[in-house]
Amino acid sequence: MKRSRFPFIVTGAVLVFFYLPILILIVDSFNSSRFGGAWRGFSLKWYARLFHEPAIWEAARNTLLIALLVTFVSLVLGTASALALHRFFKSRLQRFHYTLVYTPLVVPEILMGISLLMAFVAAGVKLGMLTIILAHVTFCVSYVALIVLGRLQDFDFSIVEAARDLGASSWTAAWRVVLPMLAPGLAAAGLIAFTLSVDDFVITFFVAGPGATTLPIRVYSMIKHGATPLINALSTLLLALTFTTVLVSQRLSASGALKSRTME
Amino acid sequence: MKNHARSYWLLAAVVTVVLLAGQCGGGKKAAPVLHLFTWSDYIKPELVSRFEAQNRCRVVIDTFDSNEAMYAKLKAGATGYDVITPTSYMVSLMQAQGMLLPLDHAQLPNCRHIDPDYLAIAIDKKMAYSVPYMLTNSGIAYLISKVGNFEPTWGMFGRADLKGRMVMLNDMRETIGAALKFLGYSLNSTDPAELARARDVVLGWKANLAKFENEQYKNGIASGEFLLVHGYSGDILQVQAENKDIAFVMPREGGAISCDDLVIARSAGEATLAHAFINFLHNPAVAAENTGFTQFLCPNRDSYGLLEESIRGNPGIFLPREIKAKCEVLTDLGEKNALYVKVWDEIKNGV
Repeated sequence: MKRSRFPFIVTGAVLVFFYLPILILIVDSFNSSRFGGAWRGFSLKWYARLFHEPAIWEAARNTLLIALLVTFVSLVLGTASALALHRFFKSRLQRFHYTLVYTPLVVPEILMGISLLMAFVAAGVKLGMLTIILAHVTFCVSYVALIVLGRLQDFDFSIVEAARDLGASSWTAAWRVVLPMLAPGLAAAGLIAFTLSVDDFVITFFVAGPGATTLPIRVYSMIKHGATPLINALSTLLLALTFTTVLVSQRLSASGALKSRTME
Repeated sequence: MKNHARSYWLLAAVVTVVLLAGQCGGGKKAAPVLHLFTWSDYIKPELVSRFEAQNRCRVVIDTFDSNEAMYAKLKAGATGYDVITPTSYMVSLMQAQGMLLPLDHAQLPNCRHIDPDYLAIAIDKKMAYSVPYMLTNSGIAYLISKVGNFEPTWGMFGRADLKGRMVMLNDMRETIGAALKFLGYSLNSTDPAELARARDVVLGWKANLAKFENEQYKNGIASGEFLLVHGYSGDILQVQAENKDIAFVMPREGGAISCDDLVIARSAGEATLAHAFINFLHNPAVAAENTGFTQFLCPNRDSYGLLEESIRGNPGIFLPREIKAKCEVLTDLGEKNALYVKVWDEIKNGV
């Protein structure tokens, strides 16, 4: 019997739909024309100009700083919350906790942005990097907690007990047993938190204060008056960075998995 | 166990320090800081440095992408911005809400350089709350070699021989406004009978249009896909820099001029510095340099003589006086806006 070609075609069409726009963006970043309509020759001038735009680099620096801090804080808080949720899942308090953790995922961003802004204003907090970090942590914690919770579902706690039996203090057990076993989940959660923080526009726009412009805000406002090829060039650089990170992390985890298999 | 507790304290300390460091963000507290909230690439960077040197201050620029987003943010209570550049219709709204500081003209001597022809049609003629910053006209751009017998009138959109190769803006006020001007009415008309006639005119044009569109028309006319488009002067000037075959004109019936204004937020912490900044931007030499950079026109009469010929000689930017007199600034219509929404729906759904 001949295999149906249909799944192959659908997969192909979906992949084209995903990656064609990105490809167009990359090609356009090398177009010497400011307008994507016509090809006017290969050029690196947008990349050259990118390096003379201090405002963009300032925004990139802000974005990176915020994302790193947000990843760290939300990993700590999110993991703690996942552990509590997992251990006491039957209790009414933790079920309420679960609802609270879950809610930020379904609240519309614009609502969250406005309400956080109003809360900060009411509390008299000066808008700036700190308010962006707090706002990002608010929604990143939920993602981290749910991902780590998923990882805990098939976590074998008898290993921890074994470690305690063999004389490990609770701190050593947590540090040497629980943490390494949770590491893949933590890495996944951290990557998600980092990406969400780098990516966010709506909430960030509202809670950003003077002097705390992030990359998405900068890029968004450039669409109106700035040169779009600059955005294309910047996006291409970011894509290159993202793909390299993904490749490296895949390579690392693949070799790690191989090593652990041979050790068995 | 002791180890345990110490680690927690260390962690908390690290987090606090890092957060505080983020909060201060390398700020030097010595020099005063002026916060500007504006569109991106809307001021020549060298001018900012010059102002900083002259006034021994720092200027921090933050950007917004739409008047509405900026308004929502400030309305919800965001503070810390000194000078803002909203479009005129938004200035009226912000002033009505008490969000703006009345300007002290004793600190703004350079306002005497501002073009009285523009002020005659401006909303805030006395400059009580706002000083005009940059103008943009909406007119017609076309390919000189492809469009024969061009006439500077909105009636061009009725030409059946250009069918399918023309685009009008997907903006109800701009496009219905063009038809109102074509009929000899005001852009800001709220007379249902006039609006009904304008609707019929736009419906007639619609038969010849490829689409209503706000962004892609630039690429379309640059590549020759479209022959004649309704667009903003700032956008078209950028395209003209690459394609010399494009001309831009304001139709003889007149059209919309929109203006972004300089205003000072009521919550501004550096009101004196903000006045100095506005005054600086209207120094004729500075204004001319800024117009050359942004490709929008700063309505500073004494700067006109200092402009490059490519801007000075462009009839789409430097409107002849008799046409400028027929142009209008779009005003905020408040509740009457619903009339336009209704007509626009009828246009979008009609054939």
